[in-house]
Amino acid sequence: MKTWYIIKREYLENLRKKSFIISTILAPIILLGFYAIPILAVFFVPGDQISIAVLDRTGRVGEDFVTSLCDTLKDGRPRYQATVHGAEGGGFDERKDMLIARITSGALDVLIELPVDALESGTVNYISKDVFNENTMDDLRDKLNPVIVNQRLAGRGLDYDQISALTQRINLNENKITKSGVLEEEQVVGRLIMVVVFVMILYMTLLSWGMSVQRAIIEEKSSRVIEVMLSSVEPRDLFLGKIIGVGSLGLTQLAIWSVLFLAVGLSSAVYTAGFMNFVQINPMDIVYFLVFFVLGFMIYSALFTIIGAVCSTEQDAQQLQTIVVLPLVLPIMMMFFVIQNPNATLSVVLSYVPLFTPMLMLARIGVSEPSLWEVWLSIAILVISIYAVTLFSARVFRVGILMYGKRPGLREIIRWSRYA
Amino acid sequence: MDTVSVVSLRQVTKAFDKFTAVDEISLSIRQGTIYGLLGPNGAGKTTTIRMMMRIIYPDSGEIDVFGAPLRQVAKDRIGYLPEERGVYRKMKVIDLLTFFGEIKSMDARAARRAAHEWLARLELTDTATMKVEELSKGMQQKVQFIATILHAPDLIILDEPFSGLDPVNVNVLKDIILDFHRKGHTVVFSTHMMEQVEKLCQEICLINKGRKVLEGPLAETKKGYGRNSVTIRFQGDGSFLCDLPQVASSNNYGSELFLRLKDGADPNAILRAASDRLSIQKFEVSEPSIHDIFVEQVSAG
Repeated sequence: MKTWYIIKREYLENLRKKSFIISTILAPIILLGFYAIPILAVFFVPGDQISIAVLDRTGRVGEDFVTSLCDTLKDGRPRYQATVHGAEGGGFDERKDMLIARITSGALDVLIELPVDALESGTVNYISKDVFNENTMDDLRDKLNPVIVNQRLAGRGLDYDQISALTQRINLNENKITKSGVLEEEQVVGRLIMVVVFVMILYMTLLSWGMSVQRAIIEEKSSRVIEVMLSSVEPRDLFLGKIIGVGSLGLTQLAIWSVLFLAVGLSSAVYTAGFMNFVQINPMDIVYFLVFFVLGFMIYSALFTIIGAVCSTEQDAQQLQTIVVLPLVLPIMMMFFVIQNPNATLSVVLSYVPLFTPMLMLARIGVSEPSLWEVWLSIAILVISIYAVTLFSARVFRVGILMYGKRPGLREIIRWSRYA
Repeated sequence: MDTVSVVSLRQVTKAFDKFTAVDEISLSIRQGTIYGLLGPNGAGKTTTIRMMMRIIYPDSGEIDVFGAPLRQVAKDRIGYLPEERGVYRKMKVIDLLTFFGEIKSMDARAARRAAHEWLARLELTDTATMKVEELSKGMQQKVQFIATILHAPDLIILDEPFSGLDPVNVNVLKDIILDFHRKGHTVVFSTHMMEQVEKLCQEICLINKGRKVLEGPLAETKKGYGRNSVTIRFQGDGSFLCDLPQVASSNNYGSELFLRLKDGADPNAILRAASDRLSIQKFEVSEPSIHDIFVEQVSAG
């Protein structure tokens, strides 16, 4: 019962704090800035038009090449504005100088020069201020290649229509099998992005709220309020009250974010039906996310509690907390491997390590839907670990909260945990 | 066991590593008394009180509070002001007091009402909606004192309650303590400020270096030392009086001299010796003050 008042105080006092309000508003903006915008930009920002001049000394390739440059940008405008140049009124070289001058002045982006022997040698000059734009270069190479091949084949007397049919490229279609059926290619990308975003949010919330528990306990110690508290409640009440109080704040923050996300999603033109289809969230994702947040928070807050209980000041704690932050960071470093190889032995084993389970199992569930018993096994291991760690942590907490001054060594901490 | 004992310690020992903070202390605090736990700094007062509150546990010995080992429920009947003052500094005063009432199992509304009453009595009404950190140190102390007694506890334990308070506030607190005493509540406080003990306590326990030096009702304790103390106020150099053969121990304050005489010594002999060489302003034969007993016991031990 007294635990309830401690939870209530911890929750309400922190809810009113500026730091909570700021982090709740700021975090999504930062997350959006660092992760979502670059990713979304690739898919939704139209990009710039590229003007191309084709100086065709062969006289046989230019027209076909320009015709094949029919891509459009996201907003419907053509991606390329291409013109073919011959030797009109003067030599090719003069023409080339003129075009290069236009590139220098910025009026032209790219000059493609097809030498006289382009068909035989297969060498084409790409002239631009920007020769590192792999995307454009690859695309132009891919477009030019069939035109030249077709011309070579035509030179050997093949019929043009036949050539097109014969040189038709094969297409590798990405079809991901899920329980609900087969996803289309674009949806697979959306799915991956969602998994990354979910895991990143889990990492950020576990880290920040775990450290909040640690801070709350050190605050209790450094303000010396702990002795007053212990004259009214048992250490267990305080321990549970702190963890549950801070955890509820974390859940509140997640709830606010979800509501914001939905509100923006439903009201904004950016999040059209197409977008909702693209991001590929299903209700089970949310459920798993919440389950792994709660479980992850429990195990990490118990660990951060130990740090808080054995340290007297924030500075003291900063050195020690690396030990707890490290197992949080490691899954983030492993995340891309796990997402690419969700069923590799390494991924499977790592996802059963209790400290990694929340993030890595969430990632595996997101990309490969492991069988249900795997998920439950990892959760069971995690729950048992939570029990053990919490028991240890609560005992260290009871002794540590009244200790000031010199930080105890590991051996001393273990001795504390054995006190009756 | 004595049924009217509110707190009793039997052979209680507590050591931190190799340092024995409390060494086989036994004491008994009767219902309705004001009990003073005295001793110099580091004597083991705070450790003893923390063990009474079951904040820390004794290595050996037994502690009963309200006639049984302290349980969670019984904590609600105790108000404890620790030596290390601490409050949630970011909270509003009224919210803080309500919270401290709630964790003593008070109803929130009752706690709030009581808090307002106490704030009014201690002239802190204006601070109710201020944050604790905005108050002066003395005000914070008073707020914490209110938190200690808000739930009208049967047993009030105060660890150095007057330290850092100005004389006016010391008086306000003293009056409140006496009020509770009149209503039959038991008050225990630890201090090394002897004047308060002299005025407030009915029973005392003097501890030094973790051991009990003496315990008992204040009046009897003083009587035990007999009326063989002399206080002389004078003009001139009175230091020769300290060397008289009748004197057991002395304390020279310059223009005032305190002497403890040997058993059977005649105070008149001192007066005669003094009047020969000094202009005497005051001569008093009295019981020793607690301060004198304290100094004597501690320096002897």
